Amino acid sequence: MQVAIVDYGAGNIESVRNAFHAAGAESAIAREPDAILAADRLVLPGVGAAGPAAERLVRNGLAEALKEAVRRRGRPMLGICLGMELLAERLLEFGEHRGLGWLPGEVVHLRDAGVTRARVPHMGWSVVEPAGPAVRFFQAPERMRTFYFCHSYTLLTAAAEAIAARTTYDKSLVAAVFDGTVLATQFHPEKSQVNGQKLIRAFLDWTP
Amino acid sequence: MLKRIIPSLLLRGGRLVKGVAYADHRDAGRPDTTARAHNAQGADELLLLDVDAGRERREPDYASITSVARACFMPLTVGGGIHTLEIAQRCMNAGADKICLTTTALDDPGLIGRLAHVFGTQAIVIGLDVITTCAGRRLYDHRSAQAINGIAWDEWLKRAVGEGAGEVRLMAVDREGGRGGLDTALFAEASALVDVPIILEGGAGSLDQVAAAMKAGADAIALGTMLVFSDNNIFKVKSFLKNAGLEMRL
Repeated sequence: MQVAIVDYGAGNIESVRNAFHAAGAESAIAREPDAILAADRLVLPGVGAAGPAAERLVRNGLAEALKEAVRRRGRPMLGICLGMELLAERLLEFGEHRGLGWLPGEVVHLRDAGVTRARVPHMGWSVVEPAGPAVRFFQAPERMRTFYFCHSYTLLTAAAEAIAARTTYDKSLVAAVFDGTVLATQFHPEKSQVNGQKLIRAFLDWTP
Repeated sequence: MLKRIIPSLLLRGGRLVKGVAYADHRDAGRPDTTARAHNAQGADELLLLDVDAGRERREPDYASITSVARACFMPLTVGGGIHTLEIAQRCMNAGADKICLTTTALDDPGLIGRLAHVFGTQAIVIGLDVITTCAGRRLYDHRSAQAINGIAWDEWLKRAVGEGAGEVRLMAVDREGGRGGLDTALFAEASALVDVPIILEGGAGSLDQVAAAMKAGADAIALGTMLVFSDNNIFKVKSFLKNAGLEMRL
C-alpha cells in the first residue's frame, strides 16, 4: 500500500511520517500532482495560516489532483487540522480565502464561533464524542477518546450528516468529519499517543 | 479540556541537564530515552530547550531534536537559539511542532510575527523568564544571568502575544530547581493580562505543590527537577492529580 503525505509547505510532515511509521505504514511525501494520483491512500496534514496554504494547494495543481484521486477515484484520505479546515468552501482567516469546497460551510475564528469563556488557541487534550458511521474509527471508552487539539479556527457546516465527532470547548465544536472517502480531524492523531495510533490504524485498515 | 503536565528538558552537549535558577547544571540523562519514557508514561507534551545555543550564538542541536521527535507522539516544543525563520524551519523539519522564543524575541520582537505568519500563532510559544526579588518582578536574561531593566515583564507579555504568540511559557526563575512550590500569584497576574494558554514552570518539588497550583488555576504545568532528581514519574504525578480531583488524562 502506497501512503502519500501531501507536502504543500504547511505541514508537520515529519511528525505525521513518524506516527504512520509507528502504526506500521511507510509513507512517501507527495509534492507533485503525479505523486498524489499514484497513491493508494492520502494524508493532508497542516499547521499554519489557511490563506497561503489554500493558495499553494491550488497553484501547484495539488488541489485538482486531490479532487481527482479522492472525489472521483475514491481513494481514502485523512485530513488533519488545517487539512480538515481546507475542505470547507470559505476560510475566514486574515481575509477571506477559498477552500477546496468539498464541504459546505466556512472556517471562522473560535471567538467568532462564540468561544468567549475559554482561552484561544484551544490547546491541549479534549474528549471527543463520535456519531454516525464514523464511530468505526473511534474507541468506546472515554479515556481512549482524548485527542490533542491545537487550533484557533473552527468549521461551521450545515452538512450535519458529515460531522463525525464533536468536542466541547466552551461551545460544541466539530472535531472530525466523515464524507465519502474522506475522514478529517480537527485534532492531531499523530500527536495523540496511543489513541492517535489506534485512529491511524483504523484509517489504514478501512476499505470504503 | 484536561489539564496538562509537560516535562521540561534542558539540552546541553547532546545530553539532558538540570540545575538551579538556570545554573549549576547536572547531568540528567539521554534525550531520546528520556523522551521515550515520558511518551510511554503519558506526558501531555514535551518541552526541549537548548540552553547554550543562545549564549554561544549557534544553531540548536538538530540531531538531538530529531532523536527526541522520533520517540515523541505528543506535541514537541523546541526552544533555544532560534533567531531566524530559517532556524525555526529547520527545527520544524527535525520534528518540532511548536517553537519557543525567549531571549531571541526580546532581541527582535518582529521575529514572533514572522514565525506566526508561516507556522500559525498556535505554533509560537513565547517564553518569559521572570525573576522576583524584593524589588519586584523583572524579566531575566539567562545568557548574562542578569535581570533586564529595559522593559517590564507584564508589558512584554502583552506585546509578545500582540505580536502573534499563541501560548506562554512562564518560568519563575527564582524558584527554578528550588522545590519550594510554584508561583501561582505570577500565573494569576499573567492570566489577567492575556487570553492565550499559559504554561507555568519553576519550583515544583512535591505532588501536593503541583496539585495546589492546579487547584489555584494553573491549567498547564511544566516539570523539570521533580521528574529528574526524585522517584516521581509522569504517570505517578498524573495519577496523584487525578485522585486529587483534577481532570487529567491517564
